[in-house]
Amino acid sequence: MKRTIVIWLIALFIGFAVLPWHMTNDGFLSSEWLVGATPTTALWLIVQDGQWWLIGPLLAGLYISCIQLSVKNPVRRAKLSVLGAAIGLVLTMIQGLIIVRSGPRILNSLFEGTAAIDGQLGFGLGAGLCLISLLFILTNALTQTGKAQGDAFVISMIGLIIALVAVFVFYPVLHILIRAFQVEDGYSFYGFFPRFFSSSIWGLQCLTGGRSCGTAINSLFLATMTGAGTTLLGLSFALILTRTQFRAKKLLRVLTIIPIITPPFVIGLALILLFGRNGTITAFVADFFDISRTRWLYGFWGVYFAQLLSFTPIAFLVLIGVVQGVSPSMEEASQTLGADRWETFRQVSLPLMRPGLANAFLLGFIESLADFGNPLVLGGNYGVLSTDIYFAIVGSVADPANAAVLSIALLTLTLSAFLLQRKWVGKKSYATITGKADSGQNASLSPGVKALCYLTALPWAALTVVVYSMIVFGSFVKLWGYNHSFTFEHYLRAFRIDFSNGWRFTGVAWDSFFTTLTISSIAAPLTALIGLSTAYLLVRQKFVGKEAFEFSTMLSFAIPGTVIGVSYIMAFNFPPIELTGTSIILIIVFVFRNMPVGVRGGIAAMSQLDSSLDEASTTLGANSFTTVRRVIMPLMGPAILAALTYSFVRAITSVSAVIFLVSARHNMATSFIVGRVENGEFGIAIAYSAVLIVTMLIAILLLQLLIGTRRLRRTDRVQQPS
Amino acid sequence: MNKTTVISAAIFTAVCATGAQADELNVICSAEQEWCELMVAAFEAENPDTEVLMVRKSSGETLAQIRAEAGNPKIDVWWGGTGDPHLIAAEEGLTQESGASTDELLGWARNMSDISNGRTVGIYAGALGIGYNSEILEERNIEPPACWIDLTDARFAGEIQVANPNSSGTAYTELATFVQLFGEDEAFRLLAEIGENVNSYTRSGSAPSKAAARGETGVSIGFMHDMVKLASTGFPLEIVAPCEGTGYEVGGLSIIEGARNLEGAQAWVEFALRADIQSRAPEADSFQVPSNSNAEVAPESPDLASIKLIDYDFATYGSSDTRARLLTRWDAEVGDPNPEQ
Amino acid sequence: MNTNNTGTVRFDGVVKKYGTVTALKNLDLTINAGQLVTLLGPSGCGKTTTLRLIAGLEMATSGKIHIGGEDVTHLTATYRKVSMVFQSYALFPHMTVRENVAYGLTVKSMPKTEAAQKAEHGLELVGLKGFGDRLPSELSGGQQQRVAVARAIVLEPEVLLLDEPLSNLDAKLRRHVREEIRQIQQRLGLTAVYVTHDQEEAMAVSDRIVVMKNAEIAQEGAPHDLYERPNSSFIADFIGDANLALCEVTSVAEQLAQVRLGDTAYAVPSGDFTSGEANLVLRPHEIRLTPPSTPGLRGSISYAAYLGKEIQYTVETDHGSLFVVSPIANDPFQQGDDVSVQLDQTRMRLVATDAG
Repeated sequence: MKRTIVIWLIALFIGFAVLPWHMTNDGFLSSEWLVGATPTTALWLIVQDGQWWLIGPLLAGLYISCIQLSVKNPVRRAKLSVLGAAIGLVLTMIQGLIIVRSGPRILNSLFEGTAAIDGQLGFGLGAGLCLISLLFILTNALTQTGKAQGDAFVISMIGLIIALVAVFVFYPVLHILIRAFQVEDGYSFYGFFPRFFSSSIWGLQCLTGGRSCGTAINSLFLATMTGAGTTLLGLSFALILTRTQFRAKKLLRVLTIIPIITPPFVIGLALILLFGRNGTITAFVADFFDISRTRWLYGFWGVYFAQLLSFTPIAFLVLIGVVQGVSPSMEEASQTLGADRWETFRQVSLPLMRPGLANAFLLGFIESLADFGNPLVLGGNYGVLSTDIYFAIVGSVADPANAAVLSIALLTLTLSAFLLQRKWVGKKSYATITGKADSGQNASLSPGVKALCYLTALPWAALTVVVYSMIVFGSFVKLWGYNHSFTFEHYLRAFRIDFSNGWRFTGVAWDSFFTTLTISSIAAPLTALIGLSTAYLLVRQKFVGKEAFEFSTMLSFAIPGTVIGVSYIMAFNFPPIELTGTSIILIIVFVFRNMPVGVRGGIAAMSQLDSSLDEASTTLGANSFTTVRRVIMPLMGPAILAALTYSFVRAITSVSAVIFLVSARHNMATSFIVGRVENGEFGIAIAYSAVLIVTMLIAILLLQLLIGTRRLRRTDRVQQPS
Repeated sequence: MNKTTVISAAIFTAVCATGAQADELNVICSAEQEWCELMVAAFEAENPDTEVLMVRKSSGETLAQIRAEAGNPKIDVWWGGTGDPHLIAAEEGLTQESGASTDELLGWARNMSDISNGRTVGIYAGALGIGYNSEILEERNIEPPACWIDLTDARFAGEIQVANPNSSGTAYTELATFVQLFGEDEAFRLLAEIGENVNSYTRSGSAPSKAAARGETGVSIGFMHDMVKLASTGFPLEIVAPCEGTGYEVGGLSIIEGARNLEGAQAWVEFALRADIQSRAPEADSFQVPSNSNAEVAPESPDLASIKLIDYDFATYGSSDTRARLLTRWDAEVGDPNPEQ
Repeated sequence: MNTNNTGTVRFDGVVKKYGTVTALKNLDLTINAGQLVTLLGPSGCGKTTTLRLIAGLEMATSGKIHIGGEDVTHLTATYRKVSMVFQSYALFPHMTVRENVAYGLTVKSMPKTEAAQKAEHGLELVGLKGFGDRLPSELSGGQQQRVAVARAIVLEPEVLLLDEPLSNLDAKLRRHVREEIRQIQQRLGLTAVYVTHDQEEAMAVSDRIVVMKNAEIAQEGAPHDLYERPNSSFIADFIGDANLALCEVTSVAEQLAQVRLGDTAYAVPSGDFTSGEANLVLRPHEIRLTPPSTPGLRGSISYAAYLGKEIQYTVETDHGSLFVVSPIANDPFQQGDDVSVQLDQTRMRLVATDAG
């Protein structure tokens, strides 16, 4: 165990004396320092330039080395090392936050000389390595104090995730939330309440008729409906796929995935063309039944409709693993106890799916709250928080304080939903994969449930087919909705490849297409890794402050992308962490915005694994890392697949957070598409969307091949209905 | 000098060469994508040493971004987009004087420069107008509108779409135009009457015209150049210059305070104001009226000479005080009197 | 397979608390190398907690734990040379039987082929040769159980832990498997700790039994000791069935106590008793029933069950109802018969009258 600390100490000294402390203008990973004329390591800066404030990590490193060598009592040694590492971390961060290039300073008299007054650049490779080394020394030493349960791997993981969430979620989000308390000059706690409790946010006028309700009430109603609707639809699909003999299962499976791989605005646009006042279906129905065409689509129902289409796949992805995981023998047990198929489903299968249902609902709820694309296109006069927040930031009257107040209202809703969900799931055990092998058959559905599943899922599937055929159709016609003559023009403009001089990608979309794919491919595995690790910690490990930890991982997901985007600029445009304009900031924003899905899916899947499996592995001599790798991971196949798929796709299709963070070098497909839609160039936007959909579909199929399904029983059998 | 130093120096230059040898100029473009690209290509052709890094963002998003970045900006120039956010940025000290000559510019463009102490300069103008879907109106036997006042007529019940001035700069321009045309009290009375016919106050300024183009609504209020563009792609959208006269927006051009490549930014401003460059806008299907008096105007562009343009008072109606007052009044008197449930 | 690296397990004043609940009160316990020791007791008595403390799955709140002379109090399960057979078997459903058995070897980076060889050997030991390629779901319960044992013993642990390993098996299989476990343990000379709530199972397999109750040890000793010399009514009742009859100790002389039960006086080994109330332990098969004409305790049969090898009676007497097991006789008593109950004073024991 002591070896790990030595390794991290060495890393610390390398970071301090060999690698450049600051970020260079060429970016985080520039290689210039290898050969540069002016060394930029912290050691050199102190010796040559008198920048004594960088000494924190060195002191901590030397102190810990002494402790490790001299103190005999292991517990005391560990405690002192924890202290040293903590002090090193704090010193390093404080100097980074104090010695800045502009803005208010404290302790001015202490930091003199030009280097201090000029301020410093952002943390670079050296600073990063030093901070990480100190963090891991801290966690490793903590393990040895005997106070912490769990081994070094677990503690280090907790430490790392807390640090990451603190830096990339709390730190930026605080920048904007604090605005809610801002008044003329300074901050006031009391100014916040009247703004927060205004009737434009929480008003209930719609119940008594007349005017519309407050935006928070609207959002709450929409989110509850969407959460319930998507969970129900997702469950129907999962049941059809696992518990029936439905013929076109493969097709259904693809259909359930397509909507999440659809860029924003496309579903809204397609719905307008179908159900809008001038839409195809509206026209048909109006002519057929001789009723007048209405604008019913614009308002609550349109948004609800679009959100159901968009978010059902997420519920499905969470639920499919859970539904598969329900142990056949429990269902068989119920049947042998005289319950019929309906009773079995109601009393056994459904309650066992509770964590899955709760997580699916929570995701749908939060997605609906944070969604701003659909309400923007279809909302009409139905105001919701997310659009109001967006326009409080970018609208003609920019009011960041109001945006912050609205964001807090939105967070209040999320937090309440989160707490309710926890209460509902409760502390019961939902383990159905126990390590006692199961060879039974899953109960097939009772006729009633089956009919219900078919009735909800199949029309929805049909609608999805129609919507997506329309999109493909739209990309091949001159002007969707008006001029339906066939053309390749949109594809050529976006994706032309010039073969005359070798391969040259001359289409206008290629740049953003390649950037998008690269960034998403980097972000997806990171997201899945962090999300599932967090889920593992939450389900399997005991530590202080677990609930707060869990909620904090949901935070970035629950806040609308616009707010995240702006807060990221506020936080990461300045040293000590300067990331704007790089591709790193895009990757980070994707990772931390999408990790909650990995967390939710992971929690749902992991609550089904009996903890004796982990314990068996550890008593057989495997450490937590090996246990995770060889026992938990293989049993989590569907959850991993879901997390990977989802984060990859979300990185490609998300727009609101990205709008502020894209730069000329790193432009993303969605911001390109939205720009075109704003200009009314629907053809090229739709063609680009179609290409993205196909690309993502291919990627997902590849992932599915690669990860495959887990092997729980030799075959997943379903009883033949008798 | 020993061998190692020579070699490392050689490698050093090599590494640097792969990095940034050309000057970089970071541009945010708030006009149409194609126009943006055209400008970048043209600028790079004339200045081969400069690499223009352009990204397109709407003017509201840009303002939010440069506000957040203030103190350590990553952008040099902000080109295009409606003038109000440019003026706000100037007021907040987020942009700096460009020092470009405004001699050749038309009056409204010089006016922008004067109001902002040279921090922003007008590059194009677009007049506000009424658009209607000819198929829809014909089908429903509705006489097309010719004046603002027509929109209060009951024949347009449920057919008009317009943006919400709280979120949309376009709609605020409309509100300010009404106030300047009819006087404040009368303006709000008219707006409230038109409101009886409005089916939805959209949040985005360009949405009503797009909805009218697709027949989702019969009539829209918006910028005429957006409508021209929609009509030119094939939608049955007809454009009306209201008989009472109308207001307009002026597209702005500003250099960000603290720009890293100030020289390049100044070069861009001079370039963007040149007559020959402004004349090229129609190549990118952009039909705004150029600010340089010597630039050619595309035949499709709304002919500002034939439109009764009011003398839009950007100084008054661009100020935050007036804005806040008018919007409060709009909320109270026009707002969403009876929104759908 | 030969193991010499078995270790003693020693608990010194170990306390385990979950929040405010005390799961173990100050436990002192030594388990000798090479022995099979059973932790026996009703559910919630702390026996599983003790087992998990040995495994390292739980950490002691205070006190010290030594295995093989080494202080392992702060070592987690991964680093203890202990393996465990779980009640649920905890077989990894995604691995074949061979992969399951080889798992512990491969995580200690033993080469694959060697691990597979050892695993095969382990399977042979539990009589599952040739089942290596199957998935756990394709085995019967007893077979899965044996895989779990094989998986634990191939690691040649210092201590083998078994947590109610037979509770999922049917009665017949249970006897068979417990004999196998005992044989393997003896053949390999393993130190084993076995948790069960079934006293018969405990008696059958153990060198020593530790009976636990209310988070502490009630009594420990060899099965024979516990049966013959229970130190409390609880133990007397828990280890083998016992009828407890309240009696009065009148006097003690030369290790013999004079007790009265009804009209009859008996001389019983006194233990620590000097006078006062005590419980007399009467084992069911040491009570003889004779026709009512003979002298003895008066009673009547309220229930009789014919089990083939023996007959079980419930007899109502003035001192409560007695459970009696009699060998098959030519002319058994019937329900309702009056009988005379004969007690053998040399086989009686006195225990304190704890409430149980």
